[in-house]
Parts: sequence; structure tokens; C-alpha cells
Amino acid sequence: MSIIETIDLTRKFGDFTANDAVNLSVEKQEIKCIVGENGAGKSTLMNMLYGLLKPTSGKILIRNQETVINSPVQAIANGLGMVHQHFKLVHSLTVYENILLGTEIKKSKNSLFIDNKKEIEEVRKLIEKYKFELNPTDKIEDISVGCRQRVEILKMLYRDVDILILDEPTAVLTPQEVDDLFVNLRELRSQGKTIIVITHKLREVMELSDSVTVIKQGKVVGNLLTRDTSESELAQLMVGRDVVLTVKNTQKSDVSDEIAYKTENICTINDYGKEVLHNISFSVRKGEILGVAGVEGNGQSELVKVLTGIMKTTNGKVYIEGKDITDEWPDELRKDGIGIIPEDRYAQGLCETMSISDNCIAGYHNDKNICKGGFLHRKNINALRDKFIRDFDIRVGSIDGNVGQLSGGNAQKIIIAREFESHSKLLIACQPTRGVDIGSIEFIHKQILEYRDRGNAVLLISSELSEIMSLSTRVVVMYKGEIVDEVIPRDTNTTAIGLLMAGIKN
Amino acid sequence: MKLKSKAVGLANSVLPVLLAFIIGGIIMIAIGENPFETYGILLGKSLLTTKGFLTTLHYASPLILTGLAIAITFKANIFNMGVEGQMLLGAFFSGIVGAYIPLQMNSILAKIICLTVGVLCGAIFAMVPAILKAYFKVNEMVVTLMLNYAVIKVLEFLATGVFRDLSSGYVSTPTIQQNAMFSRLGSSRITAFFFIAIAAYVVMYFVMNKSKLGYETTAIGKNLDFAEATGMRVHRKILILMAISGALSGLAGAGYMMSDQFKFSLSFSGNPGLGWDGMLIALLGAHSPTGVLIAAVFYAALKTGADNINLYSTVPKEIVTVIQGLIILFLAVKFLHEHTPMTEKLKTFFSKIKISKNREAQ
Repeated sequence: MSIIETIDLTRKFGDFTANDAVNLSVEKQEIKCIVGENGAGKSTLMNMLYGLLKPTSGKILIRNQETVINSPVQAIANGLGMVHQHFKLVHSLTVYENILLGTEIKKSKNSLFIDNKKEIEEVRKLIEKYKFELNPTDKIEDISVGCRQRVEILKMLYRDVDILILDEPTAVLTPQEVDDLFVNLRELRSQGKTIIVITHKLREVMELSDSVTVIKQGKVVGNLLTRDTSESELAQLMVGRDVVLTVKNTQKSDVSDEIAYKTENICTINDYGKEVLHNISFSVRKGEILGVAGVEGNGQSELVKVLTGIMKTTNGKVYIEGKDITDEWPDELRKDGIGIIPEDRYAQGLCETMSISDNCIAGYHNDKNICKGGFLHRKNINALRDKFIRDFDIRVGSIDGNVGQLSGGNAQKIIIAREFESHSKLLIACQPTRGVDIGSIEFIHKQILEYRDRGNAVLLISSELSEIMSLSTRVVVMYKGEIVDEVIPRDTNTTAIGLLMAGIKN
Repeated sequence: MKLKSKAVGLANSVLPVLLAFIIGGIIMIAIGENPFETYGILLGKSLLTTKGFLTTLHYASPLILTGLAIAITFKANIFNMGVEGQMLLGAFFSGIVGAYIPLQMNSILAKIICLTVGVLCGAIFAMVPAILKAYFKVNEMVVTLMLNYAVIKVLEFLATGVFRDLSSGYVSTPTIQQNAMFSRLGSSRITAFFFIAIAAYVVMYFVMNKSKLGYETTAIGKNLDFAEATGMRVHRKILILMAISGALSGLAGAGYMMSDQFKFSLSFSGNPGLGWDGMLIALLGAHSPTGVLIAAVFYAALKTGADNINLYSTVPKEIVTVIQGLIILFLAVKFLHEHTPMTEKLKTFFSKIKISKNREAQ
């Protein structure tokens, strides 16, 4: 018996059909994965189920009853809860306060005061029931991302939902946290909950789910049982062609001995005066990719900020081809031949409310071709934009539209195009494939390898261990603001690096 | 797509004005006057007669400049609320210089000197909040706003003391020399200052729409992190934008001094001052140079129209102040959003009515 079913569910945005007659059926007590490329319509479908969007046509059946869901409140009342990719938690409040936000338990019915003791008790019971690892009195700002996610899940469970929708739940987690999450989800399933997971990480689909629905361009292209399928079959369904799941990393030319980029003993402090980077020293040679691995929050973000001119060092030096570039401004760094793929694409890389062409020149708007005598050369800029769109296969709805209208993968490709076409000598790539679809990941990885083969240096920072392992020539592992060790991917394995990431060095 | 968003933007500026006029009309009916006749006088005399229109353009000149001064900083999400003070400072010192230059000086040179003094005063004064903002992260809104009052008091002190014109019956500085005055063109009120304002508009149009600075301004206003990360040196741009804003304000003051007031009195800027009017104009013009130009002319038309209402009808001229107030009020409401078409909103509205009617029928 299916607990939730959609019949010919369609949603249009103007002329664009985001969901085209989607028929989805989820069995009770199963883990269903919904996979598809970015912009395939997964989020639209889930938003309709959760009452955030109204279907243009079609029906939603919950427990075989036709249900109209107009708001998340109604969805929760129907036993349907959603955990968003970006958590909606109050950082200064504790775990239990967040879980009970909006449904506080009062001392008596008309009392103004909250019964904290009873609240903590309730939450503790809930945590024990589902075997979560969490302390109800911890503050959100003090706990890890994985714990925060558990809080979000508990928030829904407290409201008695029996269908849980998780939107890209593993995007922000470390490998260990992902394992914990899976354990939790399986436990929930065994206690009678139904779980829908939106994702595009196929390995996780295979590991976690009972059945899979593949969506491509707004249409369901496959309904499969996980045990009957394989990663490559799913990948093929998603993109409609064969994809190389791991790019072939063959180093054509030998790495030269010439050092392209070097840091010496970089230290820095954050806004609170805490030292977040301590004596970071590494060098990148021409024609090699140096990977920086580590659990998120161990100084990688700060390292990137320091190297891209957004944060200042308190000590140490940075050199490119022997030239001292410590604490240079971002525009000077770009002039010195550094391409930058920033960590947060919509904060530092792109401006969502500006046009595609305006985003194509950002950072390079001082170039002679683009800016003449203080005025922008529109014709050249548009030509550049058209070239980017053609060469990098960026799919845009309207060529004059804003970047905010593009899907994650296509938006990322704009940054990639911009930074690759600038004739840089070093690329600092931070989380280059975060939140982008398989097709784009493959494309971006290929671009990075080609860039390296042209004799350039790449500094790759990623929380995606497989990405680091398959692309890098050498890997340094960061832990608590320091480099703990350097390894060569060929001579090591994920477990060994995982231990280093946890700060354990033998 | 672009056309549509432009239409929505236009509607968001025109609707508040229309609504203000409608409510103003209701008020006039309530006090027993004919609104159509009054509006006829208000707009007809200030826009449709040659003499009235030229008077309107004359009054619009400083408003175009203060409007542009505000628009350029607001576009970058920097809030220069000190346009009034920068304008007054520029006016005051251009007036002082204008009063003490030798009479036999070439009249064009004299004007250039006075205008330059005004521009420099405004720009340098605007550097105070700009430096505090760029290098010490002091909130520019508070500083600029408060400095207005400081500057007003300082100028009051100077005007009543050191620079007081003793032959005048009230507190004012000496009248500027003949060669520093912009003379009227023909029998109209308009002077060469209007063309200076228009030239400033043309320059600002290109700066804001076509230049690198305009591009960076937009980026800073829309996404500060992005601007910083792509190397736009935001702190330096803050100084430049504030300097431009201050310079335009100073130019507005100097020009108004040399084309209209000729001396600095305590009521130089009127009430509300030219700087404050500029804020409304920038808002009405949606911070685009052309919008500011149109809004300034419209606003000046209300000003000249107010005098005509006094002359030709029995409606108190304060009705114009009421209408101005209403425009500000309605401007605060964004009637249309780019992404929700009006027709769809109306549809849902009517369908709700239908449903409730059906229920009643049942």
C-alpha cells in the first residue's frame, strides 16, 4: 500500500514546465530516493508535497485520500515533514528549545512561563526513542552540523510526522556524519517511518534506499528497486547518456620541479581573536594538483579566505613564482595570475540579482578588452558571455536573465568559465562541485585536469574525499587549523586519510 | 522580460502619485472645493505655460542635483543622509567667496570659482562620514544624519557672527557680487544653472549605466561579499561615491545660491530642505538618473504650482504639502512585485469574492 502518491502532478512556471505529469508512489516504511540532475525538478516536486508550491494540475494522495496541501502547517498536520538543506534553527537557543519552538510546554494552561524541566524531559524521551545521539541542553551554535541536522529531524518527529522528506541531507556532512545519519534513518524506518531523500549522490542511494525514482527534465524516467539497479544505470537514466563516474586521471606530463605557488607559516585569527590557522606551509608545483582534505571547519575556509585576499594573515608569507603576494587584494591576486573558485558560489562568486554578462566579467572588469577609459565595452562583454555559454555548455533560459535563474550547476559553470578563461597560472578551487549535478561534476573535473595538463598549478580544497582522491597529485590533510600530514593518493586509502582527518596520526 | 520589469518599476513610481492625488482630491471635496479646478491650476500653470514651465525647471535644477547625490550612494547601499548639510556648506562658502571676490573679475571665472568652492566644500565634508565608514566601520547613516545638525548650527553661528551682513535687517551673509550671479534668460526665471544641472545628469547617466564605477556600484549595492571577493575594493569605492555625492550636493547649494538666493539666510534651503526633497525625488525616481530627472521636474512643478494655487484659487497652498506627504507614504508601499503579475493577484482576489458570494447564496 502506498502511503503517498501523486497522479499526473504538473507544475508550470510560465512557459517552463518544471514537473510534467509526475507519478510518484512511495510505499509505507521504505526509504525512497529521488535522484536527478540539478534543475530536473526534484525540489519543485517536494515543495508541492510540502505545500510551498501549488500544483498547476494533478492530484496528491496521502494514505489513499486526495489531499490539498496549501501550506507546510497543513503538510505537517497530514503527517508530512521536511528537513531542508539549509537548516532553519535559532543558533543562540538550545536543542530542546529549537525542537519545541512554536509548541512550547507551559507550566499550566494559561501560564506565561515555559516548563523547561518538562520540555527537556520530553525531548530526552524523543531522543532515546529514536536512538539519536544528542544532548538536549546544548546550544545549537556549539554543536556540529551533523547534530544540527538531527535537531531538524527531531523537530519534525516531535510533531508526529510519519513521512520525512530530506532535501540533500548529506551535502553538508562529513563522511563519518553521513554514516551516522544513515544509521539514524534506518532506525526511523524500523520504527515505522517513511523517508524520502532527495539527492544526486548515487553511492548514497545505493547504500541507503529501498527504491529509487529518477527524474529528468521534470519527468519521471525510472522507478526502480535499489537491489535491481546499479550506480551506472542510475547515472545513465539521469543524464540520458553514459557518464564516466570517476574521471580518468592520467598525468600526461611529469610534474616539473618548478614551484608555482608557495606558502610559508601562514597564521591567522578569526573575528573572535581565536587562531584558526597555524603555520600552514605547502607548495604547489607546475602541472600538479595539490588537494587539501579535512573535515569541514578545520580551517579550510579560512585558508581559502586568506589565499584569496578576503582575510588577512597575522604571520607568514605567500609567493607565486617567487613573488611575494602576502595579503594582496583580490584584484591584485587575479592580476598576478590566480583564478579563484570561491567556497560559497552565491556569496563570493556570483551576484544572483545581476545579469549573466555582468557576472561573466566580475573580477576581470579592469581588463583592457572590457573596460576602456572607465567605460564598459558592452559589445565585447556580450561576446565574452556568448563564448562562455557556448564553450562551457551553460544552459540559460534567457540570455539577458539574471544568474539567480540558473540552476546550481550552470551557475557554477559561469564561475568556472570566468576563472579558466582568464589565463591564470594557479587555480584555487574551493568545493568546485558542491551541489552541482553529475553531468556538471564530470565536466568540471575534466576542465580542472585539462588545466593542470597545460602546465598550471591547482590548489583543490574539497570536503568531498573522493574528489580529492581522484584528482590530486598530492594531498595535505588539515586538522584544527594545521596541516597534519601529506600523502600521495596512489599510496594510501580512504580509511587512512579518514584517520588523519580525525587528527589521528600514527 | 526587461520591458516588463521596467513597466513594473514605472508603475511603482506612478501609482503612489496617483493615489496621493486622489486622496488630496477627496480632502478638497471635503473642504468644499473643486479638485479638478485646483489640479488644473496646480499642474497647468506650472507645466503647460511657457513661463510657468521655465520657473518649474528653475526650481528643479538644485533638486536634480540633490536627487542624483542621493541616488548614487543609495544604489551602492550606502546611505548618505547628509546631502542637506553638504549642500548648505557648499552654498554658504560659495556665497562667502561670491561676496568677497573683486567686482572687476571676469564673470565666467567668478562663477567657476564660486561653483568650485561649493563642490569642494560638499565633497570634503562628505569625506568625514566616508572615512569613518570605510576604515572604522562607523554607521554612515547616523554620522551623516547627525552632521546635518552640526553643520546647520555652525553655519548659523557664522552667519550671525563673522559673516553677518550688518546692513541687512535679518540674519544673512552679504549678497554675492553681480559677476557671480547667474542672470535670468529673458523674462523667465531660468538661468544657466539649469543647464549645469542637466550636464550633471548626462554625466551621471553615463557613470551609473555605462561605466565601470556604475557596474561596481551596482555590485556593491546588491552583494557586498561578491564585490569584495571580486576585487572591487569596497572601502575605496565608498570614498569615491561619497565624494561624488558630496560634490553634487555642494554644486546644488552653490548653484541655488548663485541663481536664486544670492545670500545665505537661515531659511536658505526652505522647509523641508533641498537635500530632504532630494531624498524623496531619488525614491520616486527609483534611484535611476532619468527617473530622478523626471521626478525632480514633477516635484518642482508641485512647488511652483503651490504658489499658483494661492494666487488663483481659494484652496490653501498647504494642500500641496499634504499631497507630498501622501506620496512619501505611498512610496513606502511596493504595490507591484516584478514576479507576481497584477492580473494574477486580481484573479485570486475576485475568485475569493466569488467563493464567498456562492457561500452566501447557499
